[in-house]
Amino acid sequence: MTTTAERPAVQLPPPPKRRRPLLRVSGRRSLTAWLFLTPTLLILIAFTVYPMVQALYLSFTDYNLIRAAQWVGLDNYIELLSDDAFWNAFGNTVLYAAVVTPVTVVLALAFALMLNQAFVGRAFARTAIFLPFIVSLGIIAIAWAFLLDPNIGLLSHWLSLVGIVPEQGWLSDPRYAMAAVMAVGVWKNVGFYMVIFLAGLQSIPVDMYEAARLDGAGVWQRFRNVTLPLLSNQTLLVSVLALIATLQAFDQIYVMTRGGPFFRTETLVMLVYREGFQELRFGYASAISFVLVIFVFILSMVQFGYLRRKQVTY
Amino acid sequence: MKTQHRRRSRERRSFHRVRPLAVVAALAISGLALAGCTGQGSGGGSSDQTDASGKITLDFWNGFTGPDGPALQKVIDDFNASQDGVEVKANIMPWDTLYQKVLTSVAGNDGPDIIAMSASRMPQFASEGLFEPLDDYYTDAGNDTEALATAAVDASVFDGVNYGVPVNFTPMMMYYNKDLFTAAGLDPEAPPTTWDELAAMVPKLTVDENGDGKPEQFAMALGDHETVPVFASLLWGTGGGIANADGTKSTLGDPASIKALDFWVSLIRDQKATQIGMTGADADKLFQTQKAAIEIVGPWMTTGFDEAGLNYGLAKPPAGPSDEAVLADVVSMGLPAGTSDAQKEAAYEFFAYWNSAEGQTTWADGSGFPPNRADVADKVTASPYPAIFGAADVTDVSKTLLPGVASGGPIMETIFNPSVQKALNGEGSVEDIFAAASAQVQAELDK
Repeated sequence: MTTTAERPAVQLPPPPKRRRPLLRVSGRRSLTAWLFLTPTLLILIAFTVYPMVQALYLSFTDYNLIRAAQWVGLDNYIELLSDDAFWNAFGNTVLYAAVVTPVTVVLALAFALMLNQAFVGRAFARTAIFLPFIVSLGIIAIAWAFLLDPNIGLLSHWLSLVGIVPEQGWLSDPRYAMAAVMAVGVWKNVGFYMVIFLAGLQSIPVDMYEAARLDGAGVWQRFRNVTLPLLSNQTLLVSVLALIATLQAFDQIYVMTRGGPFFRTETLVMLVYREGFQELRFGYASAISFVLVIFVFILSMVQFGYLRRKQVTY
Repeated sequence: MKTQHRRRSRERRSFHRVRPLAVVAALAISGLALAGCTGQGSGGGSSDQTDASGKITLDFWNGFTGPDGPALQKVIDDFNASQDGVEVKANIMPWDTLYQKVLTSVAGNDGPDIIAMSASRMPQFASEGLFEPLDDYYTDAGNDTEALATAAVDASVFDGVNYGVPVNFTPMMMYYNKDLFTAAGLDPEAPPTTWDELAAMVPKLTVDENGDGKPEQFAMALGDHETVPVFASLLWGTGGGIANADGTKSTLGDPASIKALDFWVSLIRDQKATQIGMTGADADKLFQTQKAAIEIVGPWMTTGFDEAGLNYGLAKPPAGPSDEAVLADVVSMGLPAGTSDAQKEAAYEFFAYWNSAEGQTTWADGSGFPPNRADVADKVTASPYPAIFGAADVTDVSKTLLPGVASGGPIMETIFNPSVQKALNGEGSVEDIFAAASAQVQAELDK
């Protein structure tokens, strides 16, 4: 490996002892482990691996669910490259992920820091922030359709009091539709990531803060030099999960805008859905989803690579 | 105090050394999206149900979720009581759900035995091999199909083969709110009969009392997506349209089509004739809450508007400068490909009952839809609406949109409606937007 170029001059601590291989196939202990893993693995194989392999196969075919799949080789992938709908959806997906991921992660951390303090109403605030994550899509659709309705919407009414009057519905206005689904995307998921951060915050030993305080560190310094580094593991997890989730944005877009107005909010997964279930082109839809898989995979690897360097053990 | 908080050395954490397990994990997580998106219909049990007594049960999927649902159920109950060889079971779900589920269900052999859908969607599914040809239904004199409205029967023809039998056939009519007409100083008994009359009324019927630029009341409630294709039918008024009669050539960029689009886009953008960005359901709500004075829609809304206590009138939609064609909506029922002969026979028995004089009288009376056959018009007395929607001067000029075009659904949802929305939002000139749309339509028609 090309590691010598970057080696710092200072003496590094000796590398930790190499760990036992995780998946050794023999031995009584590993047999027990495999037995415990079997149910999960079976579910994973049946509902994730098999559909993925099947989708990979379908992406090389022309298939409509009724007739037998026709092998078309790389045709679907070639068609993708010159498909405006694909590039539009790709752009929307990247834009959505680029905005929603950092906003969600930062907000989740901010909420976690706030709600890690003791104050009256903390339990209520925690619940309020977490609730959207577990609320069903149907309810979200109805709630937001009501809040944003141009004629009877509560939010529209409040905004009109301060002079903001959109002529049409927020969700059908090409200027605001993407922002609206982004906002709901953040709102829906931020509570989940907040809980992960909260767990991380509570596992940081109090004595570290005491030590920092004795050394004269202020609030910002304690956050910057104690909290943030010790939260690295959670940050890695949350940012990878959040990025993957945003690249797969579908649900609130489906219930709020259906990808409209004129495809302004159509993400790749929405396009997969449209090509598959509306245009009945399951082969082409599978090809799009595989491009997405590869894209998500590459980005996740980059993230793992970058953030793992900041991983901590203590 | 000894903690080992330290940053791991750089080279061990380099990108090249990412552990295989992490790779597998990432792949598995990213794969979750696929699992939900490309699932095939799971193989269920066969739906060929014949019980011990030899009675055949037919699962009838349809989308009559509104006030027309009970009327449909009444006809089915009557049919089930009229004989003991066949039992039809209605499975009523929103149309959206039906379109999403039908293909996977049929592919999984766990689907409906009879499928109702908009005749405009039938060619698409027929071209994919979902439907069984039903031409032999029409050649059997016993089924009494001669009495049915021709336009209703022809609506489900694709490539010379008929895949459906009509459930209903109805023109879209103009509903207008008489109270709002009176309030605007207009004669409540004189709805607009031409585009020009309508355009003259728009400034009076669109009201922005507080002057914030957003009217509190609109002249019209006209949906631009997820709706019966009223907007597309307006192109007929100038002799334009989306495609020529046999569905081979796009006419969306023709001067006649552009003329109609210019008229409606400027009426909506400049005069705020309607709210932009509404679905069909939004438009219904706008009219129902008296925030719009005019809506063009089918008879299924009469019950809702009556219950809301609206004082409304019904009239033929305003005629365009060169044509007075009116949009007709047809729902047909078909059978999934591979239906057994016994089931087909049972279904034909139900189709014949549905379209019999008795069945159509019950249906029209209960639903407000005009009957599929003119010879029962005088028997329909319980509801005034079948006579209004079935009036000859309306049905004579009514026609369906893009009949027999396999890509009719995709053309409307992915080309026409988005283009209208673009134009209404001022994202380019009507000519440019629809010239591009026309090329896309042509590409779909050529497929």
